[in-house]
Amino acid sequence: METAKHTENRSGRLISLLTAAAPLLVLLLVWQLAAVRLGRPWIFPPVTRVLEQLAHPLRTHYASGSLLGNTSVSLLRVLIGFVLAAVVGISLGVLMGSARFVRRTVEPLIEILRPLCPIAWLPFAIAVFKLRTVPQLFGLAYTRTVWDQVQLGMIFVIFVGGFFPILTNTLDGVTGVRRSYVLLARTLGASPAQVFRHVYLPAAMPQILTGLRQGLGLCWFVIIAAEMMIGSDSGIGYLLMYAADNAAMDLVVAAMFIIGIVGASLNFLMRRVMHRFVSWKGREV
Amino acid sequence: MRPEFASDANHTILQLDDVGKTFRSDAGADVTALASVDLTIRQGEFVTLVGATGCGKTTLLDLAAGITEPSAGHLRRGSGVRLGQSVAYVFQHYTLFPWRTTLTNVAFGLQMRGIGRRQARTCAMELLARVGLAGFEKGRPHELSGGMRQRAAIAQALAIEPVLLLMDEPFGAVDDATRAELQRMLVDLWQDRGMTILFVTHNIDEAILLGTRVVVFGGPPGRVVRQFDIDLPRPRDRNMKPFTNLFLDVRQALAGGLD
Ligand SMILES: Nc1ncnc2c1ncn2[C@@H]1O[C@H](COP(=O)(O)OP(=O)(O)O)[C@@H](O)[C@H]1O
Ligand SMILES: [Mg+2]
Repeated sequence: METAKHTENRSGRLISLLTAAAPLLVLLLVWQLAAVRLGRPWIFPPVTRVLEQLAHPLRTHYASGSLLGNTSVSLLRVLIGFVLAAVVGISLGVLMGSARFVRRTVEPLIEILRPLCPIAWLPFAIAVFKLRTVPQLFGLAYTRTVWDQVQLGMIFVIFVGGFFPILTNTLDGVTGVRRSYVLLARTLGASPAQVFRHVYLPAAMPQILTGLRQGLGLCWFVIIAAEMMIGSDSGIGYLLMYAADNAAMDLVVAAMFIIGIVGASLNFLMRRVMHRFVSWKGREV
Repeated sequence: MRPEFASDANHTILQLDDVGKTFRSDAGADVTALASVDLTIRQGEFVTLVGATGCGKTTLLDLAAGITEPSAGHLRRGSGVRLGQSVAYVFQHYTLFPWRTTLTNVAFGLQMRGIGRRQARTCAMELLARVGLAGFEKGRPHELSGGMRQRAAIAQALAIEPVLLLMDEPFGAVDDATRAELQRMLVDLWQDRGMTILFVTHNIDEAILLGTRVVVFGGPPGRVVRQFDIDLPRPRDRNMKPFTNLFLDVRQALAGGLD
């Protein structure tokens, strides 16, 4: 019995894996056949050429660096911008949600700035910050590391991209905190600061994590777009544009593939974190 | 535990003189929840307050806890009865923080007082054992049964060593057998700790079984209809004549207090 069930489970999983992979395999096959038949790899590269590029992530492409190097530059920019957006967005969200006058003061400004596409900030941010990098901020001229590629303007744009979803979700979360929990904490001796830290923050955590997930996804969108703009000199978005200008379409598709995979992984990671931290949500008693 | 009180049986813990409470609803209409309540609670009493749903019992506890202020009359708390320090309140609903484990829920008050992690933990473990929850410290509230949650909520309240413990229909949502256990446990805790309890219920039997005094509440608007001193020996027997007589008296007073 046990064994039968086990095998059944395993074959079931195999079948579901196959059904999930089938469309992709068909697509790759059709693509490969069409590309070979067309015979113009600078417009429509065969799958094999793309895979060949992906198999050599450290290969340097002219003056623009490697797939892996540029991906890490993009990830580092996103990470810094996202962490800043998270810190500011969560703090401001909790503050706005728990103090009405702060909300009344800040909300109109937020509502005006929010609909503005983060990319629209880029020329302005570059103008303000020039091309200053993070090491320069600390008085270091040139560190010969990936950090030299992390310009303040880029970080600012990422910050803007992640900030609004994090802020609005946090605000919603905090506004929805049951008054009972605040009162319970107060009667048990919590100061206003402790209520902030031990009630508003954990009670709003499910929505905060939703905001973080949306924010991180948006940051990844925004960095690719920003790196594709004029004035950019590195990042996976830059490599993609550079490859397109040089008709290296296999590299373009390889970069697209990486962008997709990284985006999906970030989303998956955030989902796992959410699952771990907010198992109580929806089961309040 | 608290010798300055233990020796002083007449020390007043809470005194309400002609207290009224009116809420303004969202529609702009006034709702009078309490009208002219006079009530005095002294050190060491176990006062049970019995009344129908909607007659203002929760409002009265909220006033005692300082969650709301009276709109008329005076409310006085005795010396040593300090909000956020020595008044614990077990709510009717949402009595525990759902994101905390049972242990950290119980330790909450200690943590807020800046008591070290280890000491708070030890203290919370002792309390959990005292309320019969040893071995459940890692569970979250939603993983506990209704009765276990009430035990945890009581432990959480006791952790701050309250002078006054307010309880709002704490055993309203558990089965009869569990309620009987919880009632026994609460009486034991009260006798051990010499604290004062104001216990709200809509269950006459429970009010007589637990209290040193039963306050019959009528309304709305809420007011004290009658009070009964209960000097039956403990543990109390529901089937004894004095108990059943009291039950009938309380029920009659309650019926008379309904509008
Ligand atoms: N915050 C409030 N705003 C408006 N009306 C309220 C509020 N709290 C209680 N009331 C009203 O006061 C009355 C008494 O409520 P409550 O004290 O909860 O009664 P009980 O606990 O005895 O069931 C009810 O009519 C209720 O609608
Ligand atoms: Mg009530």
